[in-house]
Amino acid sequence: MTTILAIDTATDRTTVGIVKDGIVISEKYHDDPLAHGEILPQLVAHVLATENKIDAVAVGMGPGPFTGLRVGIAFAQSFATARQIPWHGVDSLRALAWMRSEPEFVVAIDARRREFFVQLYRAGELLTPTRIVQREELTEFAVPVISGHPSALAIASLVGSESEVREPIYIRKPDAYPAPKDVKFRPWLATDLVPIYGLEKACYPDDPWSLAQFKEEFAGKSRLYLVAESQGEVVGYAGVMVLGDVTDILTLTVAPEFRRRGIARELLKRMIDWSRNQKVEAVMLEMRKGNVEAQPLYLASGFRKISERADYYGAGVDAIVMRKELKA
Amino acid sequence: MSTFTSGPLVLGIETSCDETAVGIVRGRTLLANVISSSVNEHARFGGVVPEIASRAHLEAMQSVIARALDEAKVSLNDLDAIGVTAGPGLIGALLVGTSAASGLALGLNKPLFGVNHLSSHLAVDALTDTREIKPAIGLLVSGGHSSIIELRDVAREVHVLGATIDDAAGEAFDKIARILDLDFPGGPAIDRLAKSGNPAAIDFPRGLAESDYNFSFSGLKTAVSRYLQKSPQVHRGDLAASFQEAVVDVLLTKALAACKETGIDRLIIAGGVAANSRLREVAAERCAVMKIELRTPPIALCTDNGAMVAAMTSLVVSAGVKPSAIGLEAMSTVPLSQPTWA
Ligand SMILES: [Zn+2]
Repeated sequence: MTTILAIDTATDRTTVGIVKDGIVISEKYHDDPLAHGEILPQLVAHVLATENKIDAVAVGMGPGPFTGLRVGIAFAQSFATARQIPWHGVDSLRALAWMRSEPEFVVAIDARRREFFVQLYRAGELLTPTRIVQREELTEFAVPVISGHPSALAIASLVGSESEVREPIYIRKPDAYPAPKDVKFRPWLATDLVPIYGLEKACYPDDPWSLAQFKEEFAGKSRLYLVAESQGEVVGYAGVMVLGDVTDILTLTVAPEFRRRGIARELLKRMIDWSRNQKVEAVMLEMRKGNVEAQPLYLASGFRKISERADYYGAGVDAIVMRKELKA
Repeated sequence: MSTFTSGPLVLGIETSCDETAVGIVRGRTLLANVISSSVNEHARFGGVVPEIASRAHLEAMQSVIARALDEAKVSLNDLDAIGVTAGPGLIGALLVGTSAASGLALGLNKPLFGVNHLSSHLAVDALTDTREIKPAIGLLVSGGHSSIIELRDVAREVHVLGATIDDAAGEAFDKIARILDLDFPGGPAIDRLAKSGNPAAIDFPRGLAESDYNFSFSGLKTAVSRYLQKSPQVHRGDLAASFQEAVVDVLLTKALAACKETGIDRLIIAGGVAANSRLREVAAERCAVMKIELRTPPIALCTDNGAMVAAMTSLVVSAGVKPSAIGLEAMSTVPLSQPTWA
């Protein structure tokens, strides 16, 4: 006989239930994306009134919006510590999938900021690792897309499965970084071209711009190129040019060891500010379709995907075209 | 160690900023104070990054609880109450603490008390003084706050006499440290650099000097950066020492004026900036002259910690205040006049 207290806070819903040997004896939920912290203890107190003898805690570890997710995990771990019982972390997307029986489907959890965490299943088998897609891309799957809330039974049923995890499933990196410290931003100089070319080769080994291309850009008009410099070294660069009534961001590159410090964000901000001064209608950019790392930055800065260009970066490498309107 | 060994056994959790901290007290006796800090992860950003802090809290929480119980040599079942910082602070960070505390309280079936982080900074003084608690003037100086408080009963009745109208004292230290290219956090860095300089070298403006108990540090900050621009060759120790002297002077002038006006002859200096060595030194000199009893908690209890939350909770329990509701709300801003949560 095992009695499990099951908790999930990976979606807008706070779900709590007590599952005894595979049978739900009490379940409560509440929908509010901002109140997991207050709601969860109340729901737990409620179900404990039905059965107070708990043998284990099972908790959804995400993926999901971080703040709510941590409420569930922090509570579950402490409850287990208090009762001296084990806790089990399970993949919330897998719990969603556990509830379905279609031959092929996608499960999705809202990641906020117009993005979703998704997993693709066929015949009960997980086909792809968890990834992030934009809201618009959800309609592009040829199979049903299911975005619901993991039930207490689903969470409890995954205890002991190979999908158990001990760490929160964040997928996204923390990106709420303040402006970078100790990094200077300035227009490029002729002496920057060689270090920029070095960084270009390191970042895009398959199809770097040539040094000649950079020299051509340097001589070009209607452009702004900026470098990010740390302790005298070029650690990033970006360029934008006017193309009729829009500007086009030509490149935006940050050295791998300097990423996630807000340098790309600052470069992008300056590209956008410059574009505004050119009195154009919008800023455009192309990016590799598979470049999931950069997408959240552009989306957060107001860019929207408008089209795709097949083989833009060579055979088989498609581009996504994104646009940010500058006129209200 | 104190002989005040009776009273409730309380475990307190603090996660309002970048320290994951758990303290355990029995009555007014400190039994354990364990801190795990993510400060080094924030240093390269020159400030605390909320999402990084929240992640670190969740990672550290269970081991910090376990270490505190170990250090105190008590078990969870022995506890009389759980206390937790419910505000003010970073909301995502606070929620990790309140959720962990709720999990403990419901798991153990023990009462939970949400307490004010700022009151707790002052309540920690109860751990180092075994006499009856008397009214005091509190000077609370930290990275987020600079306030002068009339403390009648820290568990129930506090009255804010004045606060900063722009930067907190700790923030001013951080900003000046950045101007001087020193490390984050700026307080300890300036304190160290100032030891090599002359505090009377430059006469910086004090700001809002006589008028009331409110502070303003932005004018001082501007004055320091202008001075550095005009005289880049200035001895940096002199600059740091003179800046620090101006902050210390204005803080103490106002706090001691509050003592005089209210007739309260006790001053408690608490919060992270209370660790500043020059503030302690000048406070001791001036309080001696004015025959005011100066209370400064040991430095380990001045910066954010769990012992202060446990101490505050212990005082709240002893005062007969009712526990917080199940599912107490964490709040990012909350006035000092609200010591506990409903
Ligand atoms: Zn504090």
